[in-house]
Amino acid sequence: MARSTPTYTPVRNYAISFFLSALLLFSDISYGAFAPLRGFVTASTLYAQMISRGIFEGISATFSSFHANKNLIQENKELKEQILKIRTTDFINKKDNQEKIQIINFHKDLINSLKNKDVAIYEIASIDLRNYLCCSTHRIFLRNDENVSVGKNSPVFAGESFIGQIKDSYLNFIEVILFSDFNHVLPIKSNFLYCDAKGKGKPMLISCKVNKTNKNFNYQIGDTVYTSGLGGIFLKDIEIGFISAIDSFSIDEVEVLITLKANPLEETFYGIMGEEADEI
Amino acid sequence: MGLWVKKLMKFSNHLIILSTIILGFWLDDSLNPLTIKLFLELNFGFLIFTYWVFAMPEKLHSSAALFYGLVADLLFSNVIGFNMLFFIATSYIIHLYVFRFRIFSYFQLSVFFSGSSTFYTACKYLLLSPYNYSYLVLILSFLINAVLWVGLYFIMRAFRRSIF
Repeated sequence: MARSTPTYTPVRNYAISFFLSALLLFSDISYGAFAPLRGFVTASTLYAQMISRGIFEGISATFSSFHANKNLIQENKELKEQILKIRTTDFINKKDNQEKIQIINFHKDLINSLKNKDVAIYEIASIDLRNYLCCSTHRIFLRNDENVSVGKNSPVFAGESFIGQIKDSYLNFIEVILFSDFNHVLPIKSNFLYCDAKGKGKPMLISCKVNKTNKNFNYQIGDTVYTSGLGGIFLKDIEIGFISAIDSFSIDEVEVLITLKANPLEETFYGIMGEEADEI
Repeated sequence: MGLWVKKLMKFSNHLIILSTIILGFWLDDSLNPLTIKLFLELNFGFLIFTYWVFAMPEKLHSSAALFYGLVADLLFSNVIGFNMLFFIATSYIIHLYVFRFRIFSYFQLSVFFSGSSTFYTACKYLLLSPYNYSYLVLILSFLINAVLWVGLYFIMRAFRRSIF
């Protein structure tokens, strides 16, 4: 007599698949074995989005022109409305362009102040928002339409501060690892500490663990944090954020939380500077 | 082939199933940035996959789970192997107890499938984002996914009956 429901479930196939998946997962987490493949797929997806957007806009333009030919009288009325809309849009565009010029001028000023002419400005293509808001992987992709060769690990800045480093480039896109990414380490300093700050995996947050001393650490909250220049990748003494909290981590250590100055969700243009470096 | 006759499915049917799973993951990607502020993580992609295995166990075997997982990993994950691993494991469990599930009530089914999706979420956080691990997210996601699974079950069943 059957003791259980008869099913056909070949354990061998599942076991092989399970171990194969586990092996792939381990090699990717530990050694980043498939990072180039993932980058290529992401870049291809971005391309597909851009192309489909172009096609959609082309189709909608064709339909609208066909419709316009049929209804010329209606078009006259619409054109009058369009003129009014264009006037309004033009006004907004002017303002927008003024802001863009201000941003570009700011970047130019920053470049001049850093006495470094080897800088290019790139527009953001996408940000992995789901991971940025919930998880540890904080990456953005920049558009590199002219396919300019960029150095791996070069510093990237946005707004008024550094924001991350180049991770890799795929097709015409540049992958940038943000400071808040769990795998990023940034040498920093403030009035009372030097340390390698690690990304917290939370938006705009990095942290470092320092030994407790006799100092009362709570008085240091709000202190400005700068790049220390250690490692030779980032310029020294660039403000990157401020100390927002100091928590006890263990008997001997405290965790210093640093809120970053630049918010990637508010930035459109990113600057990349410097030659190829060796480390992240 | 023993007690079950192995029935192969057309490639086009696999593509339809894969499309629904991709749609689910795309929904997750679109909605989760909004819902995560409310401590909710939706798992439409995973739930749709489990539905298909539950509905057609004789047609979806380990190779299908492996392939769907690989595509989901390539398009939506930060690591290769994670979805593959969970799709395989879940597929095996569903295959093992599929006839017992058939006599379960909708409530029991939704608890099981929502529990599976919560386990999936928990492992995702533990492996890929330990600093963001939150019991509140898991508990709320469990409750919401349990409710969503019932709706998803009826929608997917209607879709399956109209297609296959």
